[in-house]
Order: sequence, then C-alpha cells, then structure tokens
Amino acid sequence: MSNEVEILLVDDSPEDVELTIRALRRSKIANEIQVAEDGVEALDFLFCRGSHKDRAFSHPPKLVLLDLKLPKIDGLEVLRAMRADPRTKAIPVVILTSSKEQKDVIKGYNLGVNAFVQKPVDFEQFGEAIRQIGMFWMLINQSPPPGESAESKAQGA
Amino acid sequence: MTPSSKAIAACALLIVVCIGALSFWSEVRNEEDREWVTHTLLVVEKLQAIRIDITQAETGQRGYLLTGEEKYLEPYQAGRDQLDRDMAELRDQTSDNPTEQAAILRLDPLIAARLAELSGGIELRKHSGLLAGVQAVAYGNTGGKWMGQIATQIEEMRRAEDQLLSSRLGTASASTRKMKVVVVCGNALAILILLVKGLVIHRETGRRNLAELNLKHANERLERRTSELSETNIELESFAYSVAHDLRAPLRHLAGYSNVLLQDYGPQLEAQAQRNLQKIADGAQKMGSLVDDLLSLSKIGRQTLALEITALDSLLRQVVEELAHECSGRDIDWRIGELFSAECDSGLIKQVFVNLLSNAVKYTGKREHAVIEVGQTEQNDERVVFVRDNGAGFEMQYAGKLFGVFQRLHKARDFEGTGVGLAIVQRIIRKHGGRIWAEAEPGHGATFFFTLGSPEIKPATQPELTVSEEVMHV
Repeated sequence: MSNEVEILLVDDSPEDVELTIRALRRSKIANEIQVAEDGVEALDFLFCRGSHKDRAFSHPPKLVLLDLKLPKIDGLEVLRAMRADPRTKAIPVVILTSSKEQKDVIKGYNLGVNAFVQKPVDFEQFGEAIRQIGMFWMLINQSPPPGESAESKAQGA
Repeated sequence: MTPSSKAIAACALLIVVCIGALSFWSEVRNEEDREWVTHTLLVVEKLQAIRIDITQAETGQRGYLLTGEEKYLEPYQAGRDQLDRDMAELRDQTSDNPTEQAAILRLDPLIAARLAELSGGIELRKHSGLLAGVQAVAYGNTGGKWMGQIATQIEEMRRAEDQLLSSRLGTASASTRKMKVVVVCGNALAILILLVKGLVIHRETGRRNLAELNLKHANERLERRTSELSETNIELESFAYSVAHDLRAPLRHLAGYSNVLLQDYGPQLEAQAQRNLQKIADGAQKMGSLVDDLLSLSKIGRQTLALEITALDSLLRQVVEELAHECSGRDIDWRIGELFSAECDSGLIKQVFVNLLSNAVKYTGKREHAVIEVGQTEQNDERVVFVRDNGAGFEMQYAGKLFGVFQRLHKARDFEGTGVGLAIVQRIIRKHGGRIWAEAEPGHGATFFFTLGSPEIKPATQPELTVSEEVMHV
C-alpha cells in the first residue's frame, strides 16, 4: 500500500513541481506524488486510461493539486471533468496557481473546488502554504471512500 | 423653430385673423343695411296705405252725403279706423328716426283737419238734409286743399325715404367693395408670407438635417472610440493577468532556488557568497511585491464600488488594532478622534486607512516617541479626514509626486517601500469622488487629508485609462 499515489500534482512548470515536492517532502507529508504536466495527462491518470490504463478507480489520490494555466486542457476543464463523473466527483481538489484573478476564483468554486491558493513568491511563505495544505488534506481531513462518490454510496446504502 | 421664423408665422396668423374679423364686421354691417332697406320699404308702403285709408273714408262719406243711407257710413268708419291703426304703426316704425317723427308731426294736423271736415259734412247731412249734404260735397273745396297737402307731405316723406335708401345702399356697396379689396390683398399678403415661411422652414430643415447628419457621424466616431477603448481595456486586463501569472512564476523560482541553494549548500559557502545569494532572494521577493501592488492598483481601477453606509470610526479602530499589534515593540501614541459615517466601499476605505496609517508608522520609525493622530475637520462645508504623524515628513515642493506610481520621496535605505501605496489610496479616494492632499515639513511630520465626495454611480462603464498612463511613466 505504501506506493499508492497520495497526491496528484498537476503543473506544467518543472521548477514549481520541484519546489512543491521539496516543500512536501521537507514537511514529511507525502511520499507518493504523481506529476501530470498538462490537463490531458491529469485526466488520463484520474480516469485510468492511456498510459495509466492499468490503474484502478479503487485507489484514487487523496488530493489533487491543480494549476490553472496548463497546456492542451486547462485546470478548470480538468476540474469540470472530475466533478461531472461520479467516480472522481468527491476527490479533494486544491487549485494552486500564480494568479488570483477573481473570475478564476469564482469559476473554480462554481465548479466545486475545495480550496483556492495563490502560490506566494516568497520562498518561506510558499513552503508554509504547501506544508499547511498537505497537513490539512493528508492528515487532518477525512478523505472520501474510494471509487464511487460519497453521494452515490449513500444512495446505494 | 428660430425666433425669426416664429415672428413670420405670427405675422401671417395675425393678418388672417384680422381679415376674418373685418369680414365678420362687414357681414354684420351688410345685415344692418339690409334691415334698413326693408324698414324703408315698409315705411313707404305704410304711407301708401294711409293715402288709401283717407280715400276710403272720403268715398264712404261722399256716398252718405249723396244718399243719406247709413250703409255708406260703414266704409267711412272702416277707413277711419284703418287710418288710426296705420298711423300708429307708422309712428312705431319710425320711432328711432327723429326726422321721420318730425314729418309725421307735420302730417298729423293735416289728416286731423281733413277728418274733421269729413265728419262735419256727415253731421250737416244728418241734421240739415240732402241739400246741405250736396252743397257740402259740391263746395267742399277745402277737402281738395287738405288732400293736396296730405299727398304732398306723404310724397315728401316718401322721397326722403328713397334718398335714405339710396344713400344706405351706396354706403353698403362702397364698404363691400373696400372689404373685397382688403380681403383679397390681405389673403395675398398672408399667402406670400406663408410661402416665405415655407421657404425658410425648408432651408432650416436642410440645415437641421445637415447638423443631425454631423451629430450622427460624431456619435459613430464616439462609439468607435468607445469600443476601441473597451478593447484596450480588455487588452489591459489580459496584460495584467499575464503579468500576474507569467511574471510571478519566474520570480518565485528565483526566490525559491536561491533559498534552496542557501538551505542545501549554505554551510559550504563563504559569508560573501551567502550574502549575495540572499540579495538575489530579496530582490526577487521585492519584485514580487511590486508586481502584486501594481496588480491591486489596476484591480481597483476595474472594480465596481460596493457602496454602503459605513461608520469610518469602527473601520479605523479595526485598522489601528491590527497595526498596533504588529508594532508592539514601539512607543506609539495613537490619538484617535471621532469620525463621521459615509456612503463608501468599506473594503477599499479600510485599505486607505491601512496604507495611510502604515505610512505613518513607517515614517515615524526613527522617532523615539511617535504620535499618530486621526480625526475629522471641516473645510468649505466638506467633511475632511486627516491622518497626522510626527515622522520624517517631506519637502512640500515634491508634494505633487507624492501620489504617483513608483514615486518615492525617501531613499530605500532610509524607508522601504514600493511607491504604490499612496497611488492606491489616491485611486480609491478619486473613485469615491473625493480629494486627497498632504501638508508636511521635513523632520516635523506629515498630515494627509481626504474627503469622500459623491461616489461614482457607474464606475464600471468608465474606461480606466490611468493604469496604462501610469505604467507608461514607469
């Protein structure tokens, strides 16, 4: 179980990816981090298709860290696709982006994002933000059961 | 309609009204004339009837005188009665004409004398017999004499009436002729004036159409310009967005990697190398703040004010509490006065207090005992908020630069800052329709004053150009 993916990090900037992973590792939060460099890769992973077709829906990531400005399919589209499918609907998503453009914030919440965080320029603030996000969603928060969404489970029961 | 064309129209209308009034008056006069003609004819007829009445009475009397038969007295009496009635009617008809009345007065004794003669003959025949009656008829010379005078008098009266009639007819036809001339000329004049007026209106309409066309073109140009401006605005927004996203990322990497280097290899580096790395990290950090400040400045420009009645007091106290907490190590004497309530965007006005009070805290940083005072005053019937400090102050000759973007009156070595804070304050105040200004003296502190005028009603529809202007100045 130890090599199950805990965080899906969707970001096209290798530097941001490196700095984010470094911050997560230094606060000893997540070991298994999957990186997707564009929206298509992220959706392939989440929906177990393409290069991830051997993966199972029964082991969803505990958290998706989603950048907005992505090649091919942007972050909001990824979010929309996730929320539209009962198998990925309940997975916690935190938008982690450079901009805090109001219309993006509004769109993000309308599409059902769990949190919206602007990446701070300051290194220490950045590290602290990543640490707190990881801490809350990986350790404090109760993750939804894997597979079907919590809602459809409740209806089935 | 121009005043001159109004005058022309009024003139034409006046002429037409005058012609109407004249026609009516002339019609009334004609009616009177016709009545007079009828009247005259009636009088003439009545005079004729009076002659016949007398003749009838005479004939009856003569028959009685010759025969002595009572039956001849009937036409005599009927003639007399008819004569009385006709005379009465004549008096009635001529009651408004003194000349005719005078003529009747002259006629009356003649008729009375003739009637007396007739009745005298009858009396004679009754009492003295046929012979006396025949004598009375035969020698009735005086009867002929009276009758001749009566006829003359009646003829005179008739001629007078005829003269009156012909003079009345003459006057009537003359005034009708005059009236015709006036009506024809007046109408011609009115038509001429209306034609001129029509011409003037035609020319005015032409001018107005031209003006409308010009206005339409100007509007089209304005609309084009507005759409160009809104396009520029959209471009500006996407520019700001890409500044936010694209510029912040490399800055974050600069700061991030220099810190990573410091963390991972710091101990192996010489002190100078560590210091230089720290400078890189600080520079990136500083530029990040500049970008963020610039973005919030442009955001305020695009923002719509969320107006509500706000107690500036409580807003100020929140800010002071937060600030006082942050600079707990310093000796600051906060003197907070009463403030009024105003209709404003409370979030933005809070930002104003934050920026002004942070400045006050910053520029009193070298005072052992700092005094920061906030209160209200009145100037030209306007309520003014002031923020006063006993800090570094500045030279008034540079006061104009105070609110410009990236404008600083102090060296970064002395006081840190991006030079955007006061620009943001000014933009917020202006958006509320207010003014901001400052008074200061180097070494003796500064006082900032602001008013909150009438806030913009529709700020969203006004293209915000100052952002690009200010960015250009940079």
